[in-house]
Amino acid sequence: MKLKIFKSYEFLLFLLLIAFAGMIGLFNPAFFSIGTLFDVIRIQTIYILMAFGLLPVLILGGVDISFVAIAAVSTFPIHMWLIGLGYEGGIWLYYILCTAVGILVGLLIGFLLDTFKIRIFDLSLGMNTLLYGFTLFFVGSLTNFDMPAGMVGWNQRWLFTVQSVVGISGLHISFISIFIVGFLLHYFLRYTTLGRGVFAVGSDKSVAIRTGFNLRKVYMTVFPIMGALSAIAGLTYSVLEANFRPYLFLGKNMQVLAACVLGGAAVTGGRGSVLGTFLGTILIGLVNQALVYLGFETQWFDFVVGTIFIIYATFQTATTRSKR
Amino acid sequence: MANTIIEMKNITKRFGGVTALNNVDLTINEGEILCLLGENGSGKSTMIKLISGVYSMDEGQAFINGKEYQKITPLASINEGIAVIYQDFSLFPDLTIAENIAIEEIVLDGDKRMDWKKAERIAKDKMGRLGINFPLDQTVARLSAADRQLIAISKVLLENTKLIIMDEPTTALSRKEIEALCETIKDLKNQGVSILFVSHKLNEVRDLAERVVIFRNGEKVYDDKVSAKDFNFEEVGFLMTGKRLDTSKISYSTPKLEETPKLEVEGLTVEGKVNNVSFKMYQHEVLGITGLLGGGQGEVALSLFGAIPFKADAIRIDGKKVKIRNIHDSVEAGFGYVPADRIRVGLFMEHPIYDNIVPIVVDKLVNKLGFLAPRKTKETARHWVKELDVKTPNVELPAQSLSGGNQQRLVLAKWMASQPTILIMDGPTVGVDIGSKAEIHELMRNFAKEGMGIILISDDIPELLQVCNRILVMRDGNVIGEHLSKETTEDVLYNELVASCEEDA
Repeated sequence: MKLKIFKSYEFLLFLLLIAFAGMIGLFNPAFFSIGTLFDVIRIQTIYILMAFGLLPVLILGGVDISFVAIAAVSTFPIHMWLIGLGYEGGIWLYYILCTAVGILVGLLIGFLLDTFKIRIFDLSLGMNTLLYGFTLFFVGSLTNFDMPAGMVGWNQRWLFTVQSVVGISGLHISFISIFIVGFLLHYFLRYTTLGRGVFAVGSDKSVAIRTGFNLRKVYMTVFPIMGALSAIAGLTYSVLEANFRPYLFLGKNMQVLAACVLGGAAVTGGRGSVLGTFLGTILIGLVNQALVYLGFETQWFDFVVGTIFIIYATFQTATTRSKR
Repeated sequence: MANTIIEMKNITKRFGGVTALNNVDLTINEGEILCLLGENGSGKSTMIKLISGVYSMDEGQAFINGKEYQKITPLASINEGIAVIYQDFSLFPDLTIAENIAIEEIVLDGDKRMDWKKAERIAKDKMGRLGINFPLDQTVARLSAADRQLIAISKVLLENTKLIIMDEPTTALSRKEIEALCETIKDLKNQGVSILFVSHKLNEVRDLAERVVIFRNGEKVYDDKVSAKDFNFEEVGFLMTGKRLDTSKISYSTPKLEETPKLEVEGLTVEGKVNNVSFKMYQHEVLGITGLLGGGQGEVALSLFGAIPFKADAIRIDGKKVKIRNIHDSVEAGFGYVPADRIRVGLFMEHPIYDNIVPIVVDKLVNKLGFLAPRKTKETARHWVKELDVKTPNVELPAQSLSGGNQQRLVLAKWMASQPTILIMDGPTVGVDIGSKAEIHELMRNFAKEGMGIILISDDIPELLQVCNRILVMRDGNVIGEHLSKETTEDVLYNELVASCEEDA
């Protein structure tokens, strides 16, 4: 049993992470610090949350790109409304309301998919444009910098802080959400019959129906999870950055998708894990940070992630082919 | 005497105006292996679906374990211990063996929590009943078709299972795997489980059956005990189709070896699959190539068709050297290829029949502007539909409206339209019922008589003996034997195939 852990994909990914960090450390020793780790984690917290939301959809055998738009539509309108009402309280009300909107959009997507038998990707293409369009047209097109008094300073709530070469780096409290969400999601996917249904549907839909899984129930669970996590990610990001944008995360969907796939989720469905997704996202964040430390322009980031992704996909296809 | 598990009396089932089953009786006794034979459309699938509760009967009486049912529901059928294994095995490739075996029971129990200990316990229990032992945490995707079938069988084995219905279970299996499956079936029988084995492969039925029931056009035409000794292929074929089939071997004159061969292949090599294979095919000859899985016979066919990369010292047609780098070269040289999997690689199922006949000759059917001339296209299509006797009222219907045998003939029509000089057929009768099979054989003979060279790739030994006049046996990419079919027998060929794999073990 112990040997199995070392053979798992997650372990391989972990080794790759260490090796990569070590290599960059050789070029720039400053990279090898707790500060770097904290920075990567702080930036990647948002992406990890979104990747966690996307993961069940991928396992289900669908590719969704609208989760970024859900983040926008569940934060910006709520913020503008609460600011308009003169809300001065804490962040908890934001979390409740934004998550509720995310869940509602997820339920709508699940309902449409199940009722009209649309393909997940097709619907998400439409949803993505529609939700951004809704936010920009009906709510507003300008970034809003107002912040309720009760929420000012929340973005400086560190768990720990460390002094590094570039200044003070901290581990923000939002980091804890990864563990709570990750644990709950892992439990759902692995230890509930419904969670196994997600894998079953992704592996073979018609057999899943014949086995007795309720397709509607699966859709109506998976998409609200995605909606809720997108909303939480969107809100966390907006408060950390101290502004709310109608075009939040526009174009960031591909990066999240790449992280999930790098983490071992199959776009064809049936495979994927919470730990793998976590490591995949961290790896991409590390690449990003490394480029900064090696003195590359930030524009290089997309190019490098794209290259890594193609190498990965080639490798993956070659190995699965030889297996069968 | 043994108890009866299923007793269906005077069953009639209609779909709209079509009578699928007409006043049919069927009994299944405890612990017996019953083979149900019939062509496509004979009503055997309908009978399975009545027993498993998918359909309900229009007239008649149904008794399960002595209890009368007005209407059999799927749940009642399961509760009475009846299990059906469908052709696709109903497994999840990405999930582990343990989960695949146990998930249905866990879902049926209505468990909210996934108890992995329970899943492993169920899987171990069920595999134990079959006497198999696979690692519980391996994914099913990594298993061979035969192993998947064992998992599918253990999955349906419940505590009270009395009858397992297998719907054409051997379609995806090699000969050796089929033998293993037969052993499993006999083992289940010894445990008191009855098997209803539905097939149209006569040689397996001969090996297995204790009692055979034959359906034809919705009626039962035969129901009696049989033994392997007095199982008569011709008689069974007649009962299934209602026609006397020509099962005689083709009588060829021995190829004249001094003639220039029609096709000469020297040193054909496919990396890791085929090693330096050479053979000749003469005028009017049907050349058979056989072998077990991994023998390399399929790769030889694909190479000659230019579909996979290969090396060869020389390929000559009528003495002239040809160069094959891709499919286009191969078609130019005069090759045609009929694939085994007609649905996946042979036809555009949703497109009209005429579109499926013309793709290879499409260059000859364009008008001056380079557009496809619709009238010419349909004329060509009608010509070949008639020539090959594809049964359809209209060439504008989609290909999927045809029955299996007619689809296979449509694939043939596509290649005949390009008038190839050498036709390569890879398992042309797999999954085709016995009547259509005989018709395809007759077509092949006629093609050969008219001067076309035919290479038949098949693992169906009786078929090869019947149609080919020379048979090459391949193993691990090498030709290990060559036989004139009039000088060899089924046993000789089987032994050569089986002996070759026993050396492996």
